[in-house]
Amino acid sequence: MLEINNQFTHLKSKVYATVLKCFFNGTLEEDIDKIPFWIIPKDTDPSRCCIYKERAMVRYRILAFLGINIEKDDDEMKPLSDYYREVISKQMKPLPVLTTISTACSACPQDQYLISDACRGCYARPCLANCPKDAIEFINGKASIIQEKCIRCGKCQEVCPFNSVLHRLVPCEGSCPVDAIKKNEKGFVEIDYKKCISCGKCSRSCPFGAIVERSSIFPVLQILQSKERTTAIIAPAIDGQFPGTLGQIKTAIKMVGFDDVVEVSEGAELTSINEAKELEHRIKRGDKLMSTSCCPSYVEIIEKHLPKLNAIKSDTLSPMAYTAQLVKERDPNTKIVFIGPCLAKRVEAVKLKTVDGVITFSELASMFIAKDIDVKEVQEADLGDTHSFEDCRDFAISEGVKGCVIKRMEDPSIVKPYNIDGIDKKVFKMLKVIDKIPSKGNFVEVMVCDGGCINGPGTIVKPKIAMKLRNGNTQAITKAMKKERLY
Amino acid sequence: MDKKVKIKICVGTSCFVQGGSDLLLYNDFIDPEIIEKCDIEGISCFNACKGHENGSAPFVMINDKIYGDMTPEKLNKIVIEVYHARNK
Repeated sequence: MLEINNQFTHLKSKVYATVLKCFFNGTLEEDIDKIPFWIIPKDTDPSRCCIYKERAMVRYRILAFLGINIEKDDDEMKPLSDYYREVISKQMKPLPVLTTISTACSACPQDQYLISDACRGCYARPCLANCPKDAIEFINGKASIIQEKCIRCGKCQEVCPFNSVLHRLVPCEGSCPVDAIKKNEKGFVEIDYKKCISCGKCSRSCPFGAIVERSSIFPVLQILQSKERTTAIIAPAIDGQFPGTLGQIKTAIKMVGFDDVVEVSEGAELTSINEAKELEHRIKRGDKLMSTSCCPSYVEIIEKHLPKLNAIKSDTLSPMAYTAQLVKERDPNTKIVFIGPCLAKRVEAVKLKTVDGVITFSELASMFIAKDIDVKEVQEADLGDTHSFEDCRDFAISEGVKGCVIKRMEDPSIVKPYNIDGIDKKVFKMLKVIDKIPSKGNFVEVMVCDGGCINGPGTIVKPKIAMKLRNGNTQAITKAMKKERLY
Repeated sequence: MDKKVKIKICVGTSCFVQGGSDLLLYNDFIDPEIIEKCDIEGISCFNACKGHENGSAPFVMINDKIYGDMTPEKLNKIVIEVYHARNK
């Protein structure tokens, strides 16, 4: 996957903030077709072939931000303002979450092993000796791979003493754990939605930005503009995403227009309690293995690929589901918007029906930028009594869920836990037989993103920085905060 | 006597989102010996983003001079230069 900070993510955040600024100023309809020209002015030094293509790409980013299913509904003749009018006048289907921009796709050739100039044509020739398919030949004293025979096992790369074997990758295909990315007859990217688990790994891997998430921020903006009460429920991973405390983040979210802010960690406490009970019950009745159920992308894997794992997946609801229930009990008339790091939560929200909107941290950040809200500057809001669920903020981090569950068991000695920290192609293969392999334990925590939710596709900062901010030990930040916060 | 280099990293939302957060990992990319000679803090938006003369986010202020388009590599380079220029 690409580093979180790159030219593409910076452009994205610029586009988002500009669109939102116009929206909040009430000028979006008249300005939206000008935004590509504002962002890519005449004198720009283009990274693509020319500024005209760059502008076209900005247009696609805006379409994605509007929530348009670009793959299906792209009409180059149609002005952005027409799209915008449609978005605010009718309800759009929120799924699928991801869409592709074939004009951006570079139609990368199939992944291949190639021998580079670094080959010295050595005498030992370990590549030749170790290739299981006799796919290495020597031409003019140097190794070459016969592509028709090559099975891309990578043995030659491992054994070459000169590091001369190159593996040319296809980033999107390589990153998809479930092989849902394919190429159409022209070689451009397409997503097989019957297989896609909405994890977003492909969109974070493509260096051309050809796979994008369809934002669902506009329905949320409309809820905020209506007179209806709106409660933001914030995922545990939010702590560490902004330069400020949770209390300050809460204030900032209210400044954007939400009436109330509730931590999803509160629902995570219920998940922990119920999952602990379920686990005890299952172990006692002789179940060999139970898995967690809070990662919606993992739930998608089960539904679309491995239905047999339904037997091991806990029936406990996710923290988002419980939090939505809690909020509805206290405040039956409020709309609920989940703010999190996750794209697959949108799929879960559609199934649940209690959550009215889902946005990501990076979309929230764009709202802050558009409204000139500096998280570190705002007053700290009271978080209320968080004592019982404070530890559940760790749901955002790999191994956090299992820790919270086990802590709430009556007899933790009967459980032997382990965890799956991130699912790629290899781990997916292992998942297929997870109920067959001699068990590593009887309770497994599953996270599709490496490191847990703090590394989700909607995050703003690297997990390492998020962890530092969560622990409040980034010298620079705390030093500045100390000045204001008397601690 | 050594004069400390004052480094102020903007952690306003805009800078923070556009790469400024990476600069907070300065322990990973600036020589510890140099860090000792620096006074580093994260500060709120100082409005460098409102004009165009200093480039774009993220911004860092080093001894009251504003630098834009900051990356860890660039910050490291500038800090070393400033430090050596001061202590010639």
